[in-house]
Amino acid sequence: MGYRVGIDIGGTFTDFALLKGDEVILHKNLSTPEDRSVGVMTGLKKLAEKEGLALADFLAQCDAIVHGTTVADNTLIEMNGALTGLITTEGFRDEIEYRRGYKENIWDVRLDPPKEITPRRRRLTVPERVLADGSVYKSLDEAAVREACRKLVKQKVESVAISLLFSFVNPAHEKRVAEIVAEEMPGVPISLSHQVLPRAPEYDRTSTTVVNAYVAPRVNHYLERLVERLHEAGYQKRLMVMQASGGVMTREYIEGAPIRVLASGPAGGVIGSAHVGAAKGHPNLLCVDMGGTSYDMSVVLDGAAPAEAGWNMHHRYLIGVPMVQVETLGAGGGSICHVHNGALQVGPASAGSEPGPICYGRGGVQPAITDALLMLGILEADTDFAGGSFSLTRKGVDAAFAKIGAEMGYGAEDAAFDCWRMVNANMSQAVRRTVASKGLDPKDMVMLAYGGNGPVFAAIQAEDLGIAKVLVPKASPTFSALGTLVADPAIDEERSYLSSADKVDGERLKGLWQDLEARAGRYFTDAQFANDQIKARYQLKMRYPGQNWTLAFDVRVNQGLGDLSFVDAGIGVRAVELFNERHMAEFGHVRDDEMPEITGLRLVTSVQTPSPQVSAGTSAPRAAAKAARSRRANLGRGYADTPVFRGSDLRAGSEVAGPAIIEETFTTIVVYPGWTACVDDAGDYELVRT
Amino acid sequence: MSFELNRRLAARREPLPTSATVDPVTASIIRGAMETVCFEAATHLGRAASSPIINSSNERNASIIDAHGRLAAVAIGTPHLTFVSQLTVRYGLEMFKDFDWGPGDVFLGNDPDYGGGHLPDYNVYAPVFDDNGELILIQALQAHQGDTGGKDPGGFTLEATDIFTEGLAIPCLKLLHRGEKRLDVIRMIERNNRFATFRGDLAAMISAVQLAVRRLEDVIRKWGADAVKATINAEIEQSEKRLREEVSRWKDGTYEADVWIDHDTQGTKDIKVHAACTIQGDQLTVDLTGTDDRPNLVGVWNTYGNTRSYIMVQVAAAIDPGIVKNEGLFNAVEMIVPEGCIAHPPPNKPAALGSFHPACEITEAVCIALSQVVPERATPQVYKIGMPNAVIGFDAKGQMWMDQGVDARSMDSSAVQGIDGWGSSCVGLGNLLLSEAEDLESRFPIINLSREMTTDTGGAGQWRGQPGSLNVKKVLAPTMAMAWMVSSRHPLRGLCGGEDAGGYENRFEVGTPNERRIELSALAQLPAEAVIAYQHGGGGGFGPALLRDPEAVKDDVLDEKVSLQAARDKYGVVLTGSLDDYDLAVDVAATAALREQMGSAKAA
Repeated sequence: MGYRVGIDIGGTFTDFALLKGDEVILHKNLSTPEDRSVGVMTGLKKLAEKEGLALADFLAQCDAIVHGTTVADNTLIEMNGALTGLITTEGFRDEIEYRRGYKENIWDVRLDPPKEITPRRRRLTVPERVLADGSVYKSLDEAAVREACRKLVKQKVESVAISLLFSFVNPAHEKRVAEIVAEEMPGVPISLSHQVLPRAPEYDRTSTTVVNAYVAPRVNHYLERLVERLHEAGYQKRLMVMQASGGVMTREYIEGAPIRVLASGPAGGVIGSAHVGAAKGHPNLLCVDMGGTSYDMSVVLDGAAPAEAGWNMHHRYLIGVPMVQVETLGAGGGSICHVHNGALQVGPASAGSEPGPICYGRGGVQPAITDALLMLGILEADTDFAGGSFSLTRKGVDAAFAKIGAEMGYGAEDAAFDCWRMVNANMSQAVRRTVASKGLDPKDMVMLAYGGNGPVFAAIQAEDLGIAKVLVPKASPTFSALGTLVADPAIDEERSYLSSADKVDGERLKGLWQDLEARAGRYFTDAQFANDQIKARYQLKMRYPGQNWTLAFDVRVNQGLGDLSFVDAGIGVRAVELFNERHMAEFGHVRDDEMPEITGLRLVTSVQTPSPQVSAGTSAPRAAAKAARSRRANLGRGYADTPVFRGSDLRAGSEVAGPAIIEETFTTIVVYPGWTACVDDAGDYELVRT
Repeated sequence: MSFELNRRLAARREPLPTSATVDPVTASIIRGAMETVCFEAATHLGRAASSPIINSSNERNASIIDAHGRLAAVAIGTPHLTFVSQLTVRYGLEMFKDFDWGPGDVFLGNDPDYGGGHLPDYNVYAPVFDDNGELILIQALQAHQGDTGGKDPGGFTLEATDIFTEGLAIPCLKLLHRGEKRLDVIRMIERNNRFATFRGDLAAMISAVQLAVRRLEDVIRKWGADAVKATINAEIEQSEKRLREEVSRWKDGTYEADVWIDHDTQGTKDIKVHAACTIQGDQLTVDLTGTDDRPNLVGVWNTYGNTRSYIMVQVAAAIDPGIVKNEGLFNAVEMIVPEGCIAHPPPNKPAALGSFHPACEITEAVCIALSQVVPERATPQVYKIGMPNAVIGFDAKGQMWMDQGVDARSMDSSAVQGIDGWGSSCVGLGNLLLSEAEDLESRFPIINLSREMTTDTGGAGQWRGQPGSLNVKKVLAPTMAMAWMVSSRHPLRGLCGGEDAGGYENRFEVGTPNERRIELSALAQLPAEAVIAYQHGGGGGFGPALLRDPEAVKDDVLDEKVSLQAARDKYGVVLTGSLDDYDLAVDVAATAALREQMGSAKAA
């Protein structure tokens, strides 16, 4: 069996995870923002060297290279995508500007509008209309389409989104518009709403399509260049790309809807978490990833991170494709601590990595959480930090917290401690909100913490939330890269179909699933997977009449595409039973006297590929570990001499009872009082309340 | 049910008795926990409810009231609903002994004469006791219901002259006693509603409140009742202090504004709302004396609880948005609302439409008055729409359906200093999600023909109001349509020299010999294929239009938000080139000359 390589590009580092049989080799090098593929090739060379191979030989032996990219995210952060135009149904020019009325802060009358991707002058309408049942109410005015193209050409538009009403029911008009645009604007990329997001309602679909058009040229260009480089260097297989849905798929598939890579980085981490959690017997996880600027939270249920397509706002645009749900709070090591009108606040502003917190010694002057951790003794000055890339300095830190303390009426150490309390509370509340919208109670979950700062706060937050166990994987600093390696090739698509559950048209249902099967089958075949390798989950989306949110659930799970015999006369009755079961689980009640309706169907296809093995449990005898040294630190109960352990000294079975600090290469694990950490056979940490 | 009751309900309440103190950081953590509970409750309701107005439009909000009836914490919803919850609960608290309050109880109130807003706003609330049996908090959850069991579906009756026409009024009713559902009561409430979905909504409200009570019990156990009480006291005190600090920076004086409503529902013209905002040191007084009090007016009565809320909505808009919203805001602002005026009606007046008007004119008047002292935060948090075109029909099974007309559109999105009006409405309504054509057309026999913004309907100004949209729809089956039109003769006002917005207009049976403009109100049977067209008002402008950056005016013309004609006539901007060819350019010299000429004409 050949190699598999997972690559995840972050703002600062590009992470690599190489799977070789059962063994995982991790590597990290600096990202190269001007041309990110350079950093990728550098890392691959390093991995080849480690294997004692020339790059070409190494790549020739790679079964798969799986890649997570932030190009789409960066395009939206920097708002420097393609000059985009929109063609839509006459009468519906302004949906994307109305945003269904949504504004992000109901109390701030000075809230700025989002930067427009398609200002009104580049939103052009054409007479045409399809109705809810797919019938044509008004035929397409082709001359108007050509006129719209003329106007877009005049404005030098580089990418065109087409979103017509009910195109997801009957795409004929949308397809014809695309043909005309292709004639009138040769070479300009086109995004079709019935392909990008084939479902209602129009704002969601239009917004997603417009953002797709905006990021498509950059994402596709980047991936093409990377494929070229890999090919030239000797890689012969397809490049697989991570999607926000948590699956990977070929570059050829991504090309059709590059929006699917948006927010895929955090998804990789969640998929990695699910894999590790499942291996250790914990199918329900609360995953927390705390880095320099943000605190990302997500939930794994039954060993999976369900991708949901809902009200997902990203960079102030609604993205309606299925995504692994990751909520973000502006709380990280760089979050700035300050006093505003007598109230202590932490974040959301961040010192970032340049200049960074004061203790980085790179000119930062505003105290950040990392500075507070230094004050509390959880981190230490003048020793290796972040894998030895530099060391922290205490210079200026005390004075900064003394200033905060003066405003709050106490000393510097109290100020630092309150900042620690504040950020903790912010994170706990954010977790509660995250799980609330899923109807879960954190008490029933295991926390899995990663990112540079995740393990610093994990146990204390777990305590806050009533969680009894925390996992800290050894690989946590390169978790997203590991995640891309774990993620299976997958295609997750849906079609709209509106019907009361007692009036299901089986033939139509079959037809729509066959469409989805055909699409999935083509891409999987292309990627050289056999039909019997494909796991197909046939899902329905249903709700009670009047409900706005739908619940999706499996009606059937098959190995291999093509067997739709389950779509029989009894499908409607079974669907109602399954839906009611889901509704009971989700909302605690069932409406016996109401007939639910189907709003759409979905086909989730995936192929299982080799993943790193994670061992569970501890076969080695448990033994208390020996502290390397101690220092004065405050772990929530005042300053005390606190034992400090070196991660490299610990072995399977090693136990560390709190209060204690464990220093790992890229992170620090705090064992709070009342907690015990134990290293398992895989070298991962398990923290439990004692 | 009297002015006397209102005085009692609105009176300032004492802090909770406790000798405990809590440091500011702990207080902020406990408050965060309470806000999160509100969020959880509202989220649960939004997910489980079945009527679109709750689960899709998000017209719901959660708040925590303390044992003295003070607003302790809020989350989600709209500001307009947020500030009205506490008076309903205060009435319930008056009945604490008589109604035998205890753990596990859940109450319902919606009565405008007992602290409520209007009948459709159902307030479901439940007490939270500590382990010693002391009442500490009440969790309240308010949501707009699609019907109230009155004369007309939806709860809005144009000609109603009393509350009983509008539906079932509930001062304080126990739905659950010690955790047990009172099925007789619940069935009776369900029976007084036309919609089948109401059952699910009520069940969702109850379960959401119960969830919140459990969470709050955990919070009290974790921190101790005394710490929670001390937190609430400290937070309320802090918010009052913060608001007073802001007010003390405003220039002393009395600032007044008149705002007019076109007419009441029966055609009596020019209903006046007058607000005088007096600033003296750190004290802000809002006085509505001078507001219309003609007893024969119909449909324009805003309950006292609502009036307090709609004043506070604009005060909250004028201050640092970071100030925590709680009872402290009310403690810092004196409100004078004469008994008997349309902002403080005598008992039994209908209340449904009053939550639109004069409620929003009260907000608008406060905004205009305050624009003279805090222009940088002056932008009206209003909906000037009368009653949207509600379309009602019956399906094949005889079940009634209603398209409430809360469609995606732009209305009343005014500019504020430095920022043009944008999006679909003011920020205060930013949590409400509007209906989409593809959802509605899948449910109802309606086609949405158009809903684009109309050029030149945004008020001109140095910062421009967002144009209002024209929503055109066709009914495919015979239906009934209902509307009430205002803000046509008296559209939304511009601020600080900015121009007023374009007004509202409504036409039925467009393109037929029966085409008519709805001047006042309509309750009409529409034949199949009838087209109705609703022009929404735009947002008001801010600052003199002649000061607008000519390049911004050029962009407005390219975007067809402003016409070439208006660029010249309103903004004094002369453009060369052609809109059709996208090569417009500002003629700098000609623009300067025209602006000078217009400026001196204006001065003369």
